[in-house]
Amino acid sequence: MPSSALTGSTAPGRSLASRFFAWHLRDIMLVVVLGAVFGFLYWALVQGWIVLSVAAGPLGHLTQHVLLGGWLIVAPVAIAITRRPFAGIVAEIIASVIEVVFLGSAVGPLLFVAAAIQGAGSELPFALTRYRRFGWLVYAVSGALGAGLVFFYSAFRSGWYGTDLLLVRFVIQVVSGIVLGGLLSKVIADSLARTGVVDNFAIGRAGRAA
Amino acid sequence: MTLAAAPVRDSPLARRNPTVKLVVLSAASVVMLFVLDPVTPAVVYLLGLVGVVVGGRLGLWPVLRAQVPFFAFAVGVFSINVLSRPGTVLWQEGALRVTTEGLVVGGALAARTVAIGILSIGFVLTTDSLALMTSLNQNARLGARPSYALMAGYRLLQQLPGEWATIRNAQAVRAPLGRNGTVRRGPAGFGRAGFALLVLAIRRGEQMAQSLESRGLGLSPRTVWHPVHITAVDLVFGAGTLVVLGGLLVASAVFGVLGGPGALF
Repeated sequence: MPSSALTGSTAPGRSLASRFFAWHLRDIMLVVVLGAVFGFLYWALVQGWIVLSVAAGPLGHLTQHVLLGGWLIVAPVAIAITRRPFAGIVAEIIASVIEVVFLGSAVGPLLFVAAAIQGAGSELPFALTRYRRFGWLVYAVSGALGAGLVFFYSAFRSGWYGTDLLLVRFVIQVVSGIVLGGLLSKVIADSLARTGVVDNFAIGRAGRAA
Repeated sequence: MTLAAAPVRDSPLARRNPTVKLVVLSAASVVMLFVLDPVTPAVVYLLGLVGVVVGGRLGLWPVLRAQVPFFAFAVGVFSINVLSRPGTVLWQEGALRVTTEGLVVGGALAARTVAIGILSIGFVLTTDSLALMTSLNQNARLGARPSYALMAGYRLLQQLPGEWATIRNAQAVRAPLGRNGTVRRGPAGFGRAGFALLVLAIRRGEQMAQSLESRGLGLSPRTVWHPVHITAVDLVFGAGTLVVLGGLLVASAVFGVLGGPGALF
């Protein structure tokens, strides 16, 4: 496929966004698809969660920290498959765009900010290994950072500072990040690689080289 | 179960440029983040409610119904602040105590939740998603490849509920039956169906990428059918909305009710 002629067109004067996206269309599409599927699954889960959290009263407010790691999964999976810089941040932002623009999540544009911070946190450990190491530890650190960084933004946005439960919230959220956003992401990425569906992406090439 | 948004009704708000609306909504949301008194966001909410109901020709009832999750979230935010924020104790009964600070900050956060909520609902209910992507592509210079990839993703998203039902039905045919003869459904099944959906979507995404590339997406220069413009009315709308918000903040500061993030600490 002569994709280089199609994708290497970063003519001068084009916007930063389009140069930022000087990726193969296949990789962009993959990230969009991941955002769509996880957006759909979250949407299905959230329907149940709203009922649960209303039923649990004020404590229901804490359940959001238990599930937070789930919102991180898309970033490590996108990084593991495409192995491109910024893949995690882009994946999180696209997932949030799909939630806000297409699924009509009325959290609004502030979700983009949270998504970018989550993506940056999740991406950092992979970037430090120069997208070469994909062991359990890197995933776990990724989940912890993704959940940990965004906590400070959420705490400001939702006014958790100065309340008694600040530390409890933080610990629950980071644990959730490690388990759901880190370790579960590795399980999903490795399982996807085993199905062969991502053989045409960087993860497939890395698997064949190994 | 459908993920396709209802068609947008024609209204003054629906005719505004989607990019301008998004910019106004983002600016207002960010400004509201730094307001922490109960009165200012409450006024923003009331103005926003009137603006959305009248400007969007939506009717009061559908708008209030769309806000139910926000009301629920606001109640949660309010009650957790009232009960867990230290300060001057107003009322105490065992481990439960209510503080003045908790009431003020909780009220401010609840009011902000519904204030940002009404603006977002106004945006979502009056903006067609494809028109927004087209406008972002043409007015905000979002690249053609991410724009069209997102639109293709939207098409895929609409097909997902159908695929999900197919996968769940296929599972149900082979699933072990419970004692009363019905299919046992558990979280494991949900996970397996989710994974199957992911594989199917990745495969379809790759096919979409190939067909978009084979049709020359990414080549420049591109021409567009039905160009989208930002008109003078759009600019007046955007500037006017932000001026009203700014004026409200100034008035709030003059009357001494405006509070900043310092209230948290």
